Amino acid sequence: MTSSETRDDAGQATGIYVYGIVPADVEVEPNAQGVGDPPAPVEVIREGDIAALVSPVPTDEPLGKPDCLQAHARLLDGTASVAPVLPLRFGAVMTDEESVAEELLQKNHDEFAEALRALEGHAEYIVKGRYDEDTILREVISESAEAQQLREQMSGMSEDAARNSRMALGEVVVKALDAKRAADTEAVVKALDDIAKQVNVREPTHELDAVNVALLAEVNQQEELQAKVNDLAENWDGRVEVRLLGPLAAYDFVVTRKPEG
Amino acid sequence: MTTAIQPAGGPDGGHPSSSSLADVIDTILDKGLVIDAYVRVSLVGIEILTVDARVVVASVDTYLRFAEAVNRLDISQQEPKAGLPDLVGEVTEGGARHKTKGALEAAGEKLSDLLGEAKSPARERAPHRSNGRGE
Repeated sequence: MTSSETRDDAGQATGIYVYGIVPADVEVEPNAQGVGDPPAPVEVIREGDIAALVSPVPTDEPLGKPDCLQAHARLLDGTASVAPVLPLRFGAVMTDEESVAEELLQKNHDEFAEALRALEGHAEYIVKGRYDEDTILREVISESAEAQQLREQMSGMSEDAARNSRMALGEVVVKALDAKRAADTEAVVKALDDIAKQVNVREPTHELDAVNVALLAEVNQQEELQAKVNDLAENWDGRVEVRLLGPLAAYDFVVTRKPEG
Repeated sequence: MTTAIQPAGGPDGGHPSSSSLADVIDTILDKGLVIDAYVRVSLVGIEILTVDARVVVASVDTYLRFAEAVNRLDISQQEPKAGLPDLVGEVTEGGARHKTKGALEAAGEKLSDLLGEAKSPARERAPHRSNGRGE
């Protein structure tokens, strides 16, 4: 990548923000909004069979306001429901349009084109489940004699005196939740086994996470997927709040290979 | 219970936008192609994202928070669970018995101190006392 800065007509330093890679025949809706304030218009840079979704971006201002994050996701997820797309991680900026065409698209043309063919008709979906705190804690306590004892020990003790018991009780609870999360995640993966082409079990991002699973599925099987997730949600009514996100760009299933060596 | 498919970033998911934003952040900051290392990029199955994933690490704070939450639960209100009430009753009884015993011993010890007895007998009793209280 060249280090020379590009400046627009007004003398502002600009770069080209890259959202993702799509087939060359993808058109962008005229009202599509990109990152930045005000939102920049989204453009397409084509090279052979593939293209990059981009927009101009000032390089002397920080990115990453909520609106920018939403714009990035909205553009890619909106694309994913109608065309295959390889999403870039948020924040990818290249020097200018030529570097996008040459260094990104030309250099990786065949690999990108093949990956897009493989993605055709598929999108990512995410199943997220969050435990209801009171319900799951009651379940943990009722299943653990150790937790019951510790809880009893604590009552009537001063806060300082009970500290060790509290620590021990908390540890018992966290371990029990880990085990429940693993079991419930496995149940979800199993239930979606015949719909999911690929599965990525994500790490929990919240201590009450029950399930956090991304899957790649055919867009035309979406209703079936939704029905299965509904069944899971009904089974867990009051215990786990289940959400299904999608269709999304396949963030979890595009992988950057490390340069050799 | 909402299980409708929602656009993760869209305003029409029926969820507060803050929760949508959290979903977006989980995804687009952690995952997707990275342009700095784009030299060779492809779609090759599952990679365990151990490096990038923000893992919830159980900490002292987590332990204490959960203990507090458990303590707050009014377990007596829930449907009877086999075993729990019995166990609680037992522990309480046991605790009371030991406490009584401990108090008697302590009183005896004080008395002997007052009488100016040698200290060694009191030391011998000490293990009994701590047994009684510690259980």
